[in-house]
Amino acid sequence: MKSFKYITAALVLYLLCPFVILGQSSNDVFRAAGSPHNPKVKISFNKYYTAEGLAALGKKIADAYPNLVKRQSIGKSTEGRDIWMLAITDYSVGDADRKPAFYVDGNIHSNEIQGGEICIYTAWYLTESFADVEYIREMLKDRTFYIVPTINPDARNHYMKEANTPHSPRAGLIALDDDSDGLFDEDGFDDLDGDGSITTMRRKNPNGNMIIDPRDPRRMIQIGPDDVVTAQRYEFLGSEGLDNDGDGRVNEDRPGYYDPNRDWGWKWQPDYIQRGAYKYPFSAPETRAVADFVLKHPNIAGAQSFHNSGGMILRGPGAQEDVATYNRADVRIYDAIGKKGEEILPGYRYLTVYKDLYSVFGGELDWFYGSRGIYTFTNEIFTAFAYYKKANGGRDQVYKANKDLLLGDGFTNWKKYDHPTYGEIEIGGFQKNVGRATPGFLLEEEAHRNMVFTFYHAYHMPHLSVSDIKEKSLGGGLREITAVIKNDRLMPTHASQDLKYKIERPDYISLSGGKVVAGMIVNNEDFNVTTEQKVNPEKIRVNNIPGNSVVKVRWIVKGGGKLTVTIDSAKGGLIRKSL
Amino acid sequence: MKLRFLLLLAGYFALSGQFTLFSQQEYRNTDQVNSALRTLASRHGANASLKSLATTTGNKNIWALTLSDGPADDKPALAIVGGLEGNRLLSVELSLKLAENILNEHKDVLKNTTFYIFPNMSPDATEQYFRQLKYERKGNARKTDDDRDGTVNEDGFEDLNNDKLITLIRVEDPTGDYKMFSEDNRVMVKANTKKGENGTHKVFTEGIDNDKDGKFNEDGEGGVIFNKNLTYKFPYFTPGAGEHPVSEKENRALLDFLYERWNIYGVLSFGPANNLSKPLKYNAANAKKRVVTSVLKKDEALNKFLSDTYNKIVPPKNAPGSIAKGGGFFEWSYFHFGKLAMSTPGWWVPEFKGDSLNKATKNPKLNFLKWAEKEGIQDVFVEWKEIQHPDFPNQKVEVGGIVPFKMLNPPYAMVDDIAKKHTDFVLEIAKMQPSLSLKNLKTEDVGSGLTRISVDLYNQGLIPTHTEMGTRSRWLRKINVVLNMARGQEIISGQKRQLIDVVKEDGTIHLSWLIKGKGNVELQAGAPQAGTEKLTIKL
Repeated sequence: MKSFKYITAALVLYLLCPFVILGQSSNDVFRAAGSPHNPKVKISFNKYYTAEGLAALGKKIADAYPNLVKRQSIGKSTEGRDIWMLAITDYSVGDADRKPAFYVDGNIHSNEIQGGEICIYTAWYLTESFADVEYIREMLKDRTFYIVPTINPDARNHYMKEANTPHSPRAGLIALDDDSDGLFDEDGFDDLDGDGSITTMRRKNPNGNMIIDPRDPRRMIQIGPDDVVTAQRYEFLGSEGLDNDGDGRVNEDRPGYYDPNRDWGWKWQPDYIQRGAYKYPFSAPETRAVADFVLKHPNIAGAQSFHNSGGMILRGPGAQEDVATYNRADVRIYDAIGKKGEEILPGYRYLTVYKDLYSVFGGELDWFYGSRGIYTFTNEIFTAFAYYKKANGGRDQVYKANKDLLLGDGFTNWKKYDHPTYGEIEIGGFQKNVGRATPGFLLEEEAHRNMVFTFYHAYHMPHLSVSDIKEKSLGGGLREITAVIKNDRLMPTHASQDLKYKIERPDYISLSGGKVVAGMIVNNEDFNVTTEQKVNPEKIRVNNIPGNSVVKVRWIVKGGGKLTVTIDSAKGGLIRKSL
Repeated sequence: MKLRFLLLLAGYFALSGQFTLFSQQEYRNTDQVNSALRTLASRHGANASLKSLATTTGNKNIWALTLSDGPADDKPALAIVGGLEGNRLLSVELSLKLAENILNEHKDVLKNTTFYIFPNMSPDATEQYFRQLKYERKGNARKTDDDRDGTVNEDGFEDLNNDKLITLIRVEDPTGDYKMFSEDNRVMVKANTKKGENGTHKVFTEGIDNDKDGKFNEDGEGGVIFNKNLTYKFPYFTPGAGEHPVSEKENRALLDFLYERWNIYGVLSFGPANNLSKPLKYNAANAKKRVVTSVLKKDEALNKFLSDTYNKIVPPKNAPGSIAKGGGFFEWSYFHFGKLAMSTPGWWVPEFKGDSLNKATKNPKLNFLKWAEKEGIQDVFVEWKEIQHPDFPNQKVEVGGIVPFKMLNPPYAMVDDIAKKHTDFVLEIAKMQPSLSLKNLKTEDVGSGLTRISVDLYNQGLIPTHTEMGTRSRWLRKINVVLNMARGQEIISGQKRQLIDVVKEDGTIHLSWLIKGKGNVELQAGAPQAGTEKLTIKL
């Protein structure tokens, strides 16, 4: 009896222990540089979270930092889940929706999950570092982050909870008739061995073209044309599955299939031209929610979407046919940010979709740039480089890493199975969380590096100020007021695509507090070359305020009074300065 | 007392159908169209059903009227779409009268064909015809910044001569590019400097430059145009296009409806495109690119055949050709939907032939004026009249020009005849539609319990089961041939389920199976847009 009490007490203590440590005062922990050392919200970044898991973490962050985070659902998914967005800024300064804003999302492809965790890490880092890190405080003073951890919550859960390969479902979950038989999603994968993943089926076949690697029984190797083979030959039979609908084909009508990243409204093409397109741009509710949100937020000047894998920092154009959309001035800006990304993200390469990956229409980054003039990157998270911090590990690397670094976790060893169509087969291979999803022990690092890449991008959104106001008397009660408007970052208020098509309205530079009799843009101050604006001279319309540059405007004012110059730029914010 | 009488009268009209009681004199407005549709649906309850697909920003219904005999999706269907552009009142009437004609006079066509009729895709815009101030409006009620200057609807039309019509203004100005046409000074034409001509006028639409940006009436009321908001060659950042393709409720509602009706084989739209009077021409280079912009080879021949049929009923003289405009519905229905796509304006200004006194002309506006005069059609032109214009205080400014709508919409008295011709055309199409059946069934006893089944899958239609474009589209289902077997039966040779891409017009595909076992097997072959036949075969 006594010993039972003792054991109970020990057990309670044992269980309490981790909480005691986590809840410790900062006396008991030592700050590791670059990370929030005693955060209010505790999150493990060595695991992945379902849609509900991400939603709960977002809520915790928003609840813990009400002055920095507003949480909002931007729409509903196909199955009715909320698509949660965290709007993060220093709400004590200015209007959040008027500050230059950076949009981030993850997980458009359901199996490409890391974006969810990177987004949560970013939201967590911004809030937990606000008090300690001046860079973050400055950033949130004049920038807003709109963070949507998953824009595909239904299929994220499907990937995690149902039997899948590392590559499925990728689609959203609107049922489609892939095999044109009038039935929808009737023949998907089947988890025959019950390991929660869809691995591979192989069968002994004297005429097969594969054998088991004699040095590694997990691996199959292909027989070369001159090989003399004495070992048992095998054939591959594809991913685990049955002919569920009895049409003589296996796994031919899986959940989906359409590709949410072929559903965007820039140079969209139908399915027969661009495989994966659905009915029309934004015909999937999740992409529509994002598009509607972006259309209502013209302050978004930079954007990032997270995919996997391969270690790529991608920019548009997505399609060869769209090359002319990206002109030199904007490519220079993309290059500057992309090349910084290669430094920040070892193993990642800065590439252009159409020439380095594939030529596709209807992608998210193309709509953001082509249709809204927003500089946008897509990062393909994770590359095998990460295993040994070394390039060119070859095909063996994942087997080696699975053994040495993951200690065998994530591989299903080959086992016999009696298949109703194929007879005696064997099933085995890598599970769905190996190959594309970053292993747990590397995830926090990858999240951090990708986050700071987005910060660099966000830092270089337009940053405007009235750097100088000069006053000169013209006699007769007239004053000449010249204001110098400065943009001290890389991006202009209007990308060249934006300027070309007038996507966003001009920037307005206004003078209030006096009677304006004339207003003009100063093209060359030294030689007094100006362009007069005859109508509404108090509100000068400027097509663009270029990056790392100044724009000068001038007014002729009658009478006195306290003068105020206001810059009103959709992507550059609202700034006032009084004389 | 008075109210009661009015109510009685209203009830009487509703019961008897007011449009048979009086002959209609004028194009019907939204309320009249709505009431005509409701009357049709209630009078022909067994064959007509009416559904509102969406409510526009201007709070008007987008109607789908389904005409069918039995379940609508059991039979191959033709979709008929009107009101692609709001200045074409005729297209709404044609769609409506087609429905009336089919239900009142040709109900038997419904035995083989279902019709999905969408009379007006631009109800916000067509309403401008019935408002106090008339102008040719195409955009819906969404507020748009047409000139992308940051201000919405800041520079619309003004009726400067108080005639309730928006026509033109011409300003005497040597810097202008226009001049009076030598054949008739009512008509303004661009001066051709290469022919030694100098401009004498500036010409604008009627109004003032409200925002003083040098452009006239460039951002008035009127938002996105249905026929400019679709996916084929979407004209980004142009007035009326919308911020992205299919951004509007009208467009989304119609597309969602059409995409979910697998039995639709063809789409007939009444709009500016005209591949019925003048068939589309094949261009090898454009047909072979990844992004296809030419009709495909086989579809060119099919279009020619349909066009010949149409031209026998509606002579093509003076007909406008197909102008492929970006974002158009007709182009979408072929290039992106992949169906049999047909479009016609339904009517166009006939050629004025000229006589000894009055010569024929090549200028379309003058041709219209001469034709109208010959036909005795009144009120087609507002004579130029000098006004004071605030933007041109020291210049001679006149208001005048062709009355809006008149060049696109014939006098209402002509509409019945036009509708009758188009009904005849639609009935012809229904006769030629793809229609699959199983012919020449043979069962051979091969011995030892084996039976060979052979049968011909025959398309008796003069239209193939799939257009060439349709064979590429996931939105036209392939022909499914399925052999359902009972216990103890086994296929020795042949497929249990097979997919066939297309059976061409009057075409046949031979099918056979070798079956082991006894009893009956069920054979089913077809596609929703071409009909399906089931056979029970005794082994």
